[in-house]
Amino acid sequence: MLQLFQKKRMWRKSPLKRHYDVIIVGAGVHGLATAYYLGKLGITNVAVLDKGYIGGGASARSTAILRANYLTSQGIPFFRESLKLYGDLAQELDYNMLFTRSGRFDLGHTESAVFGLRMRSQFNQMHGVDSRLIGPDEIKKLIPVLDIRQGKHLPVMAALYHPPGGVIRHDAVVWGYARGADRMGTEIHPFTEVIGIKKNDNKIIGVETTHGFISAGSVVSATAGWSSTVAALADVNLPIVTHPLQAFVTEPLKPYIDATISSANLHVYAYQTDRGEVVIGGGVNHYPSYSQRSTLDMLETLSGHVLELLPALRDVNVMRQWAGLCDMTPDYAPIMGKVDGLDDFFISCGWGTWGFKAAPIAGKCMAEMIFTGRVPELIQPFSLSRFREGKLVNERASAPAGAIH
Amino acid sequence: MLPKQTPDRLPSHPTQEIDRSVSVTFNFNGRTVHAYSGDTLASALYSSGVRIYTRSFKYHRPRGLLCSAGRCPNCMMTVNGIPNVRTCSVLVEEGMVVKQQNAWPSTEHDLFSILDRMDRFLPVGFYYKIFHRPKQLWNIVGPIVRRMAGLGYVQTRVVEENNYSHETRHVDVLVVGGGASGMSAALSASRRGKQVMLVDDQQLLGGRLRFDGNLYDGIPGVTSDVGYEIADNLSKLVTRNRNIEVMLGTTAFGLYEGNLIGLIQGRSKVKLRSGKVILATGIYEQPSIFDRNDLPGVMLSTAIQRLIHLKGIIPGRSAVVSTCDDQGYRSALDMLKAGIRIVAIIDSRERFPNELLAARELQENGVLVLMSHMLIRAEGTKHVVGAAASRLSDGHATTEEREFDCDLIAMSGGFQPADSLLRQAGCELSYNKSIDRMVASPMPDKLYAVGRVIGNDNLGKSIVHARSVGSGVAEVKSADNALSTPANFMHESQDLTEIKNCTAPSPIDLSQGAKQFVCFCEDVTARDIVRGIDEGFEDIETLKRYTTSTMGPCQGKMCHKHFANIRAKSLDNVDSAVYTTARPPVTPIPLGALAAQVHTPIKRTPLDRKHRELGAKMIELGPWYRPHTYTSSSNECLSVRNTVGIIDVSTLGKLEVVGQDAKTLLDKVYTGNFSTLKKGQIRYGILCSEDGTILDDGTVTRISEDRYFVTTTTGNIDVIEEWFKWWTVGTGLCAHITNVTSSYASINVAGPMARDTLRKLTKIDLSSDSFRYMWSRRGMVAGVQTLFLRIGFVGETGWELHFPAEYAEHMWESIMDAGKEYQITPFGVEAQRILRLEKKHLIVNQDTDAVSTPLSGDMAWAVKFDKDDFIGRSSLISARDSGYSEKLIGFNMKGSEVPEDGSPIVSENLPVGRVTSSRRSPITGQGFGLVWVPADMAEEGKVVHVRVGGENLPAELTFIPAYDPDGIKLRE
Repeated sequence: MLQLFQKKRMWRKSPLKRHYDVIIVGAGVHGLATAYYLGKLGITNVAVLDKGYIGGGASARSTAILRANYLTSQGIPFFRESLKLYGDLAQELDYNMLFTRSGRFDLGHTESAVFGLRMRSQFNQMHGVDSRLIGPDEIKKLIPVLDIRQGKHLPVMAALYHPPGGVIRHDAVVWGYARGADRMGTEIHPFTEVIGIKKNDNKIIGVETTHGFISAGSVVSATAGWSSTVAALADVNLPIVTHPLQAFVTEPLKPYIDATISSANLHVYAYQTDRGEVVIGGGVNHYPSYSQRSTLDMLETLSGHVLELLPALRDVNVMRQWAGLCDMTPDYAPIMGKVDGLDDFFISCGWGTWGFKAAPIAGKCMAEMIFTGRVPELIQPFSLSRFREGKLVNERASAPAGAIH
Repeated sequence: MLPKQTPDRLPSHPTQEIDRSVSVTFNFNGRTVHAYSGDTLASALYSSGVRIYTRSFKYHRPRGLLCSAGRCPNCMMTVNGIPNVRTCSVLVEEGMVVKQQNAWPSTEHDLFSILDRMDRFLPVGFYYKIFHRPKQLWNIVGPIVRRMAGLGYVQTRVVEENNYSHETRHVDVLVVGGGASGMSAALSASRRGKQVMLVDDQQLLGGRLRFDGNLYDGIPGVTSDVGYEIADNLSKLVTRNRNIEVMLGTTAFGLYEGNLIGLIQGRSKVKLRSGKVILATGIYEQPSIFDRNDLPGVMLSTAIQRLIHLKGIIPGRSAVVSTCDDQGYRSALDMLKAGIRIVAIIDSRERFPNELLAARELQENGVLVLMSHMLIRAEGTKHVVGAAASRLSDGHATTEEREFDCDLIAMSGGFQPADSLLRQAGCELSYNKSIDRMVASPMPDKLYAVGRVIGNDNLGKSIVHARSVGSGVAEVKSADNALSTPANFMHESQDLTEIKNCTAPSPIDLSQGAKQFVCFCEDVTARDIVRGIDEGFEDIETLKRYTTSTMGPCQGKMCHKHFANIRAKSLDNVDSAVYTTARPPVTPIPLGALAAQVHTPIKRTPLDRKHRELGAKMIELGPWYRPHTYTSSSNECLSVRNTVGIIDVSTLGKLEVVGQDAKTLLDKVYTGNFSTLKKGQIRYGILCSEDGTILDDGTVTRISEDRYFVTTTTGNIDVIEEWFKWWTVGTGLCAHITNVTSSYASINVAGPMARDTLRKLTKIDLSSDSFRYMWSRRGMVAGVQTLFLRIGFVGETGWELHFPAEYAEHMWESIMDAGKEYQITPFGVEAQRILRLEKKHLIVNQDTDAVSTPLSGDMAWAVKFDKDDFIGRSSLISARDSGYSEKLIGFNMKGSEVPEDGSPIVSENLPVGRVTSSRRSPITGQGFGLVWVPADMAEEGKVVHVRVGGENLPAELTFIPAYDPDGIKLRE
């Protein structure tokens, strides 16, 4: 309550030093979470660098849905732990992130979609995640404004209902972590772009930035949208293809829908924010690109599809559309950990459309790995080497709104 | 309570857009309001005495008309059930139902306005700092906050017909903005034979000149010298010109890649491609920043001019004018002429604008003008009753204050270019101090700008420039952007000194009160912005997100300039006045207008009528309707196994691949060998993507040396057609791919009596010696040319018949007749699934997923590593060598339960595998199917546990198909 009347800076401005124990590239939610948990382990001679502003890039463009109803035995426990951390994050960081557990509904309109949802519900339950398959009557009761499409093409046959899922104020999460890290001594340097990564044999020694060379004990790449280009600076080739992802919001409305809904068959998801805007998004663009310019086609397609589910929005105005970049991996799972044959270089990338949900646990695991030198069990399945070893993690079916490219 | 209608409008005048001979009535909060045709809802309400239009977003402060031009959020109401309608841009129609929103119990007396007095506890970002301790608190407060936020209610029942329309168009040149510059550009482009479209968001052409009575001398080629007459003359020329199509009440809401423009006109959306685009979007007047600058009665000076000139409304009795440029004087003179007493003009500039005609006229009329002064506050609670001004010293207000009584405050806080489209197109703007405005840098390709949006405020020069741009774009083939590069233009055609004294940055003094609103949409004050900066949100993008300035319904039209300036000033760096990213749409657009028609065409096979006649239960499978069952799946299965069954498989994807390189292409895309296929031979094939995962499967039949017939799974045909074409082009092969899915109907006849049935209809020798399994023939069946494939998805002797779709019903009837004596039975998809499951044939996307490979799917036999490179080869080699984690295998339940598709395989209470297909076996009566398990678990005879209804039940794994494991029946 006291901080309501304080005018304290969230983070300091400090001159860039010539050396840090750890340099984190990317001041988004992942980089800052990593910095925060490193600080908690006592590592504070850390700089978080970003080519833009704090929490820009993918963090700023995230649609901020949190959930753990994934598909695989690797993915579910990982996201479950993340959701758990999110649950206590406001208290941990003393910053209200407006996390509302309004529940998440993945709608199934075809037999094969329901098959996938049923599988997820069963896997979720066995991994201790609250999610269950419910029928059209219960769906209608929980979301009265939803058209369950009885007698229409693609009727809602069932939903995977995930009560602990919800929505968080994404910017606040970034700012909360940034402040938390800053208070422990970590430096955050926006508008400091990394343009080169220096190696000595097989060891990373520092980064070249737009403000000069900085040496470092370890370098972490926590970039999204450009993770393959940043990794390429260290001659690391990532199996990542970057696709734009688009979304839009309506003008503010009085409470209308109190749940996040997603339909893979209709390629759309939607929820209403605390401010009253309805956020609507879908799958990634089918073509790879680094363009963050929105398209009219996507606006039209998403509008059309959302009205199939929420017809009352027809006369509601769209206020703003935007595009972000998603680093898609072949198996729709992230890439985290060390890079074989390159010491002191850590990557946390390939966050596709599932990065924001994972930030707390990903940051925590990354910090632990840098601190101990060992890869935590929870993220072992996500190593870069899995692509060479053929041990893919198949999360494709749980991607939002069937974000299939 | 609504005051009585005050019919005191001004006498008729050419600028007025109302028709006094036609009166219109509508319902407002349950009462009838009279208006004239041509009134907007907002002007009619104003004329009838309404002053509070809505309540603000956060503090529920009373808000009245501000811009009167469809830009700000202040006049939003619910009209005919539609929330958030800007009433100042909707013309009245008989019988409209208008309700106010975001207030309880009424806009006049809103209980939530208590929030306004609690503002000390609600500073910017307050919600981030409280309500999170104790942990449960947010669960209680959150819903309350949500109820307070938001504006209008969504009418959850959709009553009206969907009357949105969509159109796609193309023109040579699009001009956005129908002011003098836009019209001039359109005219000269059209005179060079170009098809021009001219759009404007107002109901009439003319832009600001419509309400401009000033004299303009010596504009070449312009006959009149009064502002609104110039507009009228130009507008007549434009309307008469057959090469110009004018769309009024139309907003260009988005400028997308490749000059694709989104236009919205009421409920119609036009998607327009334009060769060239000329932006003549003009500028937005900005509010002044002073305490309580949001009170009803405080309006933009142009809003007052609009009311007076366009609607004949006298907006008040006595007015104070706050200005930082000449605009305030022009508006003041208009008010004076309309009979409004000008109490004072408060000008922040030092020198009286002697050269300005309006200023001199005001002076002659004895109007008090205070130079070097700024307005510091408005007085009043629900409406303006007075104003206070203070002398300026060094840009700050001094204690030398003067107070005035008035019921109207006109403010002109400078201008901001209507640059959203420019910025969407990637054009960067930088701050020009001499005109206190953002100006554009060189334009992107095929995009031009004229008029005030690029800082050209001089009407005459602007018209001349617009003409040259108009004719330039019509002539220049390649983009010669020099002709509208603002940098050049600024130097050559505009004398900056001329306007130097015309504009001074609008003064802002933060010490003058807590209610100095910058962002009217989101209730953000100047103090909020400074506080945000003090808290570390210095970058404009983080500051925007923290304060939510520019993020409301007006998307920064009313606040971007002051927001950026306050930030720059706080950081002591005026040059750092940068703007945030511009995002479409420029103006909020209804979802219904945007919505692409969702075309999910339902596909029916040529035999659809037959299935319905037979009483089949139809199901949707992808886009297709297919028979699920006719009687019961177990009956149908038994018939196929014992006598003969018939199934419509017309939904199979079918491609013809023809050309000298057809064989090379197939060898490339399939994992198997197809160049070695003999003429007439058939082979099963798997397609993989580069990562070795299964994309699709099907059969390939070699019709002749350079002609193949390929089938794909029902759902994948479009993807596979694209895939084939992609690789054909990508590898430079000579092959032609034709999708013949709907050209051919396909019927599968299978079962021990299939041969006897078909024999009656064809002369082709169907005996096993002559027509072997996995071979094809072409010939007549029931008088129809047919491609005969001997294959057996369901595990019986059978033929797949492909023939011209027109003969489908004839063929079906002929076969049914021929099979009558053997009790031929139609079978549906469900029976087919069971039968194929007994053969352990997988279905792509049901039994495989995004990481399944032919190796893990137990089909290594279909991968020929010894042939040349094929797609997925290297990935499959590495999978072969390093092993893979999961394997597909069959299972038989030990008990009587049948697990559902998707049930987990459990080991030590964790899921380790999953059932992908599961049915009750017609042979054993027990559950069986296919399952993915960890590779080391996939052993013949191994017992695993399947989770069914909360219990772990035993099942035995097997690689061996349940039915005819050696495939003897197939070959009989």
